[in-house]
Amino acid sequence: MKMSFDVTAKKLFGVNYERLIRTLFLEMVVFWGLHIAGFQVEIAPFILYLMAGAFSAGVMWQALSSDDNRANMENMFMLPFEGRTLVFSYVAALGAYTLLTKTAGLLAVVWAVSEWSWAEILGSILCALAAIVIVSCLYPLRLGRVDAYAFYVRPASRRRTVKVHRRYSVRRYLFRYLMAHKNYLVNTAAMWSVACVLPVLLGQMEARFVLPIGFAILSLNTPFCILLSCDPALERAVRFLPGQGSAFCVPYCLFIFGCNLAADMVFLCSWQIQIGGIGPLHALTAAVFALLSATGSVFLEWYCPIRGWKIESDLWHHPRKYVVPAVMLLLAGLVSMI
Amino acid sequence: MGENILELQNLSAWYSEGKNVLSGFSLQLRPHEVVGLIGLNGAGKTTFLKTLSGLHEGFRCDGIRLNGQPTAFRDKGFKLSRYTVFAEDNSFQYFTFREYLSYAAAAYKMKLPDVAELVRGFHFEDYTDTLLKDLSTGNKKKAFLITAFALQRPLLLLDEPVNGLDFQSTEYLYQLIAGYKEYGTVLFSSHILESITLTSDRVLVLEEGQIRQSFAGGEINAANIREALHDENEF
Repeated sequence: MKMSFDVTAKKLFGVNYERLIRTLFLEMVVFWGLHIAGFQVEIAPFILYLMAGAFSAGVMWQALSSDDNRANMENMFMLPFEGRTLVFSYVAALGAYTLLTKTAGLLAVVWAVSEWSWAEILGSILCALAAIVIVSCLYPLRLGRVDAYAFYVRPASRRRTVKVHRRYSVRRYLFRYLMAHKNYLVNTAAMWSVACVLPVLLGQMEARFVLPIGFAILSLNTPFCILLSCDPALERAVRFLPGQGSAFCVPYCLFIFGCNLAADMVFLCSWQIQIGGIGPLHALTAAVFALLSATGSVFLEWYCPIRGWKIESDLWHHPRKYVVPAVMLLLAGLVSMI
Repeated sequence: MGENILELQNLSAWYSEGKNVLSGFSLQLRPHEVVGLIGLNGAGKTTFLKTLSGLHEGFRCDGIRLNGQPTAFRDKGFKLSRYTVFAEDNSFQYFTFREYLSYAAAAYKMKLPDVAELVRGFHFEDYTDTLLKDLSTGNKKKAFLITAFALQRPLLLLDEPVNGLDFQSTEYLYQLIAGYKEYGTVLFSSHILESITLTSDRVLVLEEGQIRQSFAGGEINAANIREALHDENEF
């Protein structure tokens, strides 16, 4: 069991578990940094447990669904490992990865900015663990079977029919990419839902002050903003072909701009319906924010793509992803003061 | 004989400082010739082709000249002069072959080339409108090879072009490589002795990041190359 655990764990944590040590150290730094800074918010224990459980469940599902595990699993199935041992070690490695590198990061931030008791710490860890176990039990059921092969992420079925086009369109390429990655769609739908409810949360303040903050929050449609990081083969191709600055990056930027602007428009419509007073200047501000965040995202992808990730989940929670929304929030703060 | 299409002086490349994969590598490629690159695993063939393609960061070169003019691997002019087919390529997975071809042609500022003959030669007729991600490894390779031969760049770089191809396509590829001299120069790496002996005007044996031996004309035969690789293995 230790051998099959190591196969997955060393891929995720590094050969000598050095990545795990580095991550735990960073989480400690974040905890002490925020704790010393003295920010304090009140979080009800129920919310804390819900947050730890839901977050861990989501990350565990992503980790189990990651295509990057396929090669490892194929190799393990080829070797004469016993199925039950394989499942336990595989799930334990991914569970440890979820708990120690993802949930621990979230809890470090939450505990640093709130009052806590030892019972709450124990409760949130137990909730996270329970969520990981439940997801591990439910995951194979999606195929209606409960053996080791249910954890194998199969390649998508081949030769899907697409409409015939003789000429390329990067916009079409990106749209197909979006449609093929359901998690990206879910993320986009979630941002639109946030856009609908934001006026409820921000509506008590003056529009001039909070609308830019709303636009900044809605620039957080992140999976699509790390396209080149997610797809190293595509990155290699756009770096090796000539003229890709305009041929690829401009349409990519416009596509993100379109996604961001759509969320901003949902936000403005929702604001208009609930509160009113939206004018052309607000729409223009939304367009400027959407364009700036799209440009920033493409700029970062071109000049500092995320490298050295082990599974997709690493990318989804990489701090670099939040650089653009953070800058946009700062900008929103500045705009609000004008 | 005109000037060299590509001249490299003292090229070194590395992945970590102090551990050169290519060390003091000099090379001249003449126009309209086929050069085969052969060497054991880890000899530096793929690193060399990646460096030429402008994808490898860690390198130093005392002189790079394209048609006698100084250049750099990431210069637009150099990029426009070459196309590379990688050993494995999963890029642009949501384009069909036709769309990828038109994209690549636009990148090289060309009109859409006629690929009917190439598509027939590679038996690729049924796959031209299938997304690249849905193609098998061999068919994906064919898609990029067809694009490469259709674009007719002055310098064509192929990394293990035979890998993944079926017998018929391999034979057709040999014809294409040998016939490419009409348009430009081919530099290709291979582990398949036959692919080197049947197509190359010159064979370079790469060993520990340097060209240890080269063969030309009548010297290119399986026995000589086998012996060179055998010596390399013993070394």
